[in-house]
Amino acid sequence: MSFIFILISGIFVNNFVLSRFLGICPFLGVSKKVETALGMGGAVTFVMALASAITYVVQYAILEPLNLEYLQTIAFILVIASLVQFVEMILKKMVPSLYQALGVYLPLITTNCAVLGVALLNIQYEYNFIETFVNSIGAAMGFTLAIVLFAGIRERLDNAVIPSALEGFPIALLSAGLMAIAFLGFSGMKLG
Amino acid sequence: MEKRKTQIDWKNVFKLGFILFVISAVAACCLAFTNYVTAGTIEKMDQETNKAARQEVLSEATDFEEIPAAELVKIRTEIGLENPDELVEAYQGKTGDDVIGYTVKTAPQSGYSGEVQVLTGISKEGLVQGVTILKHNETPGLGALATEPAFKDQYKDLSAAEKITVVKTAPASGSNSIQAITGATITSKAVTDGVNISNEVYLILSK
Amino acid sequence: MNFIKNMTRGLIKENPIFVLVLGMCPTLAVTTSASNGMGMGLATTAVLIGSNVAISALRKVIPASIRIPAFVVIIASFVTIIGMLMKAYLPALNASLGLFIPLIVVNCIILGRAEAFAFSNTIADSLADGLGMGLGFTMSLTILGSVREILGAGSIFGFSLFGASFEPVLLMILPPGAFITLGLLMGLINWNKKKA
Repeated sequence: MSFIFILISGIFVNNFVLSRFLGICPFLGVSKKVETALGMGGAVTFVMALASAITYVVQYAILEPLNLEYLQTIAFILVIASLVQFVEMILKKMVPSLYQALGVYLPLITTNCAVLGVALLNIQYEYNFIETFVNSIGAAMGFTLAIVLFAGIRERLDNAVIPSALEGFPIALLSAGLMAIAFLGFSGMKLG
Repeated sequence: MEKRKTQIDWKNVFKLGFILFVISAVAACCLAFTNYVTAGTIEKMDQETNKAARQEVLSEATDFEEIPAAELVKIRTEIGLENPDELVEAYQGKTGDDVIGYTVKTAPQSGYSGEVQVLTGISKEGLVQGVTILKHNETPGLGALATEPAFKDQYKDLSAAEKITVVKTAPASGSNSIQAITGATITSKAVTDGVNISNEVYLILSK
Repeated sequence: MNFIKNMTRGLIKENPIFVLVLGMCPTLAVTTSASNGMGMGLATTAVLIGSNVAISALRKVIPASIRIPAFVVIIASFVTIIGMLMKAYLPALNASLGLFIPLIVVNCIILGRAEAFAFSNTIADSLADGLGMGLGFTMSLTILGSVREILGAGSIFGFSLFGASFEPVLLMILPPGAFITLGLLMGLINWNKKKA
């Protein structure tokens, strides 16, 4: 299985947001402006890559040798929650400018199911370490692509005349539906 | 830059850490207990589902005997399987002492959303007796239609001696092919891959 | 009295999906059929009741500064327990919900109710709140699943409705159908509210 295939499949064919429905909360919540969407995407990419690397080690170095697979969910969510805290502290100290840009989004990531989702999927698909890493980067890029495109649409929706009953969430969901149809077009691509 | 030495209140840190530790420990114990209680049932359910599935694809057999793992390893190399995981297990179906056929569980990776687990039953005369899908993640309404009898029953009585092919229109009788599900050719091909692997396994086992 | 009030609030007035717009991932992902939606809703309800009661019982023991990690541990344990029970006794449903069972952990409804309600209310009230919110969630998921199943497969809870001549709108059970159905249902509710 080539890495490029995993990457492209993560970004387009199995787009996390539009075809797997992971990370919908931030997708709907933090997508009013392209700029904030980019910030969220950046933060998610960062945490996702780190989290899948660490959960990979946790799974194969701790849980499996000890036959504690049933603690997987609890262990993974704790890894992600503490990782988010840790990244927040490090960024605050070392790279204040990046912290300024990402800071607000970091706490939201703990409850972003895309992060836990990708960690669990990596194990389920029995990816090796490098594939795990590539897959999470692909998933994160897919997330970022979807949320940034969606923010672009929503910025324009602000100036459009919409039936009053559809204002707010309903019209956002309908636009997301149309985007998902567009992404269905990629599903004909069978890779690997 | 403000210079501020943060005072760490160690006593408090330990207290908080201890409380969290206790909560986690209690949680872990609860989980261990549930795991202990359910593990047996899960395994039993698993075995029963598998047995029922074997019975479904090879209905005439009354007894099933597993082909030892060491032999499977040999078969994998003999048929040149690229991915060894695609052949999961195989059983010999018997009535009394007579071998009447084989069931082979395969897991072709070529499905639309990854692995599709296919169980195939083949009679000792070399005819496919039944096919069932054990696990899949295919799209509901499209690929998932592969679990319907309308699709699965097409394999019945096809020959295991030659490769089964997938065609888009209704196949001519005696052509050893099946018709793909509309809009789900990839899934149809994946299931057929599984059946074809089973056929090769059968050809070796029945020698 | 109070119990009933706490319970019914989650059903309509603060319906987690249509009003609070929480827990969107499972809502969209598993509602390809009425029974999947209902199964997911009931699994979430079970976790929600368990975690609400446990957190409410421990609210005097857990210091405020470490409440979030404590909540997460408690919720994750309940999710794992429900997951194992489903695997043992409802293997078919477990298989069709798949990844979304462990992902109940990150369902914002559960953490949200823990933080907003259970941590500052009595056990009985929290139980009522969990039950109400859970049933509200289940109801919404079942409605969404039914609409998608009727349009996308011509059946409900697996029973065929229109016979063989019905050509299903496949799009409705594919991912885009989830967004579109939910958007239209929410629009309908808004429209109804404005009229009244």
